[in-house]
Amino acid sequence: MHSSPRNGSRANLSQFRSWWTLATEVPSTPSRITLVTPLTFVGDDAALVEALRVGHPGAVAALYDRYGAQVRLTLRSILGPDDDIPDLLQEVFIRALDRIGRLREVDRLGSWLTTMAVFVGRAQIRVRSRRRWLRVLSPERTRSRQLEQPPSDARRAVREIYAVLDEMPIDQRMVFVLRHFHGARLAEAAEACETSLATVKRRLAQAEARFLEAVRRQPGLAQWLEEGTRWTEKKA
Amino acid sequence: MDRKEGLENIARRVREVLADDPAASDELRRSRAAVLEKVGRRKMTSRFLRWSPGVPRRRSMLLAISGSFAAGAAALWIWTRPPTFEIGEARPGELGDVVEATDGRVVPVSFSEGSTLVLRDGGRVRVLSLNAAAARVLVEDGVVDATIVHRQARKTRWEFEVGLYRVTVTGTKFRIAFRAGDGSLRVSTEAGRVVVAGGCLEAPATVGAGESLEPSCAPPAGPAANDSAVAPAAPPDATPTVKANQIERWRQLLAGGHLLDGLRAAERASFDQVCRVATEKELLALADAGRFFGPSKRAVAALTALRQRFPGSRDAGTAAFTLGRMAFENDHDYRKAAGWFETYMREEPRGPLMGDAFGRLMEARLHSGDGTGARASAQQYLRRFPGGPYSSEAIGILSK
Repeated sequence: MHSSPRNGSRANLSQFRSWWTLATEVPSTPSRITLVTPLTFVGDDAALVEALRVGHPGAVAALYDRYGAQVRLTLRSILGPDDDIPDLLQEVFIRALDRIGRLREVDRLGSWLTTMAVFVGRAQIRVRSRRRWLRVLSPERTRSRQLEQPPSDARRAVREIYAVLDEMPIDQRMVFVLRHFHGARLAEAAEACETSLATVKRRLAQAEARFLEAVRRQPGLAQWLEEGTRWTEKKA
Repeated sequence: MDRKEGLENIARRVREVLADDPAASDELRRSRAAVLEKVGRRKMTSRFLRWSPGVPRRRSMLLAISGSFAAGAAALWIWTRPPTFEIGEARPGELGDVVEATDGRVVPVSFSEGSTLVLRDGGRVRVLSLNAAAARVLVEDGVVDATIVHRQARKTRWEFEVGLYRVTVTGTKFRIAFRAGDGSLRVSTEAGRVVVAGGCLEAPATVGAGESLEPSCAPPAGPAANDSAVAPAAPPDATPTVKANQIERWRQLLAGGHLLDGLRAAERASFDQVCRVATEKELLALADAGRFFGPSKRAVAALTALRQRFPGSRDAGTAAFTLGRMAFENDHDYRKAAGWFETYMREEPRGPLMGDAFGRLMEARLHSGDGTGARASAQQYLRRFPGGPYSSEAIGILSK
């Protein structure tokens, strides 16, 4: 027995859209198996969190695609150029996936990931500090993990600035880099460091004073501090 | 120069150096692959770490009371926990994995809440999502006999995506027979009922107990056509010069996921005429094929046709966004791109691509030299999506 289609509104096939969009993700020969793996996730942050919790096959890739660049920039702001950043980036996302069930405010996924990045960055600063001690004790057995950047005044200056920050207490450094290098507002910095706004303000004032004092002691950096356009001129 | 200005000078230069990072995309791509690989490996090992609830033992009255609470908690946990599924006798299933019945074998897929799928005749499926309230299964090929158990007092929603069709289960026992090669589908219901939508169906069709449905994309053969043949999506003004078999061919190929072949078949059948008869989903598929395999003018034609023929639909909004993306990435026509992103935002103010459209509009305005517009977009973006993926760019624009 056969049935006829009944009248009704056209069904919403938005879910099916994801099936079609697979092709846009896979720039290879259009074999059918390739087309169905991986599935592309489409949806806002709340839907993405839900998809991660239920194990949607495309959700992890979607999370990374949406926030990978942001998390990487946060790590670079905290640590400066560092060749461990790819590993740390992976660590942030693995930690986040392990803890996604605990995220309460699903629409604050981005700032929650920033908090993860701050945590991972903080741990990396401690690792670096231990490495410095090891280098002092046994210089031939350790090597610098600082990425060798192409020589330029600006890059050299940035390296010196992060060397100044390495001497700063870690809590003050975190607030300072988030505020000044990452461009976070004070409230965002407080959330990322999981502390109060008042504490952030206090640490920031201390960090700024310490930073300026250290920079002024270094002739090159002091000059850049006063001649804000110097780097631009050099680059040009 | 005061302290604040000096700090801002240094901060701005550091931000510039950090942003000037040629290795960024390469690093991001490698880390992405590593994250996905790690997650995949962890899923495999987690199969062996599943916890099994123990049986509470009754030793005293106090213990009995605690046992009752524990049993209640366990029952609540069992009731609310996401169901799992097994392939064959005891192999744990994972979301997204291919389950296939090859070499004439029959492969059962058993779900913990009692539903079963039996794959036969080359049946191939993937369980896309599964929770206590809903399940979604992609049927790629072959025959699937489904027996769906709905828990009492809780209506479970099961959906099967089959080629261009979607089968929503409101009842219990049915068979899906799908041939990916030609996109043909037959749904037969033994008990309860299912609703079939999409593809060539103009409206969702209910298939009750003892009924079956074989939608066909072929044009009606004439007045004596069988009632069971579902009317094709082609509107009455479809140009007769497009041969019926050519229409069917590109439809079948697109339905089977062969985007490139579908595009080429549509070109052979006259692409302009195909754009006049294709459904929204088919036009989006043709646009994807054009974007991906070229020429991109096919994508533009398909998306433009979609917007002309289905104005006001969600897919028309998606088409506007895609046109903006193509103008931005392919043509570097940033003014045009900005116009399309604005169109999307106007037409789909609550659409899923809103954040992306906002961010891309900001970038398009910046590239087109509209600094004021870019700043306005950046401010709006940060207000609406603080911490969103374009926030660092927005902050960068505002700091200039």
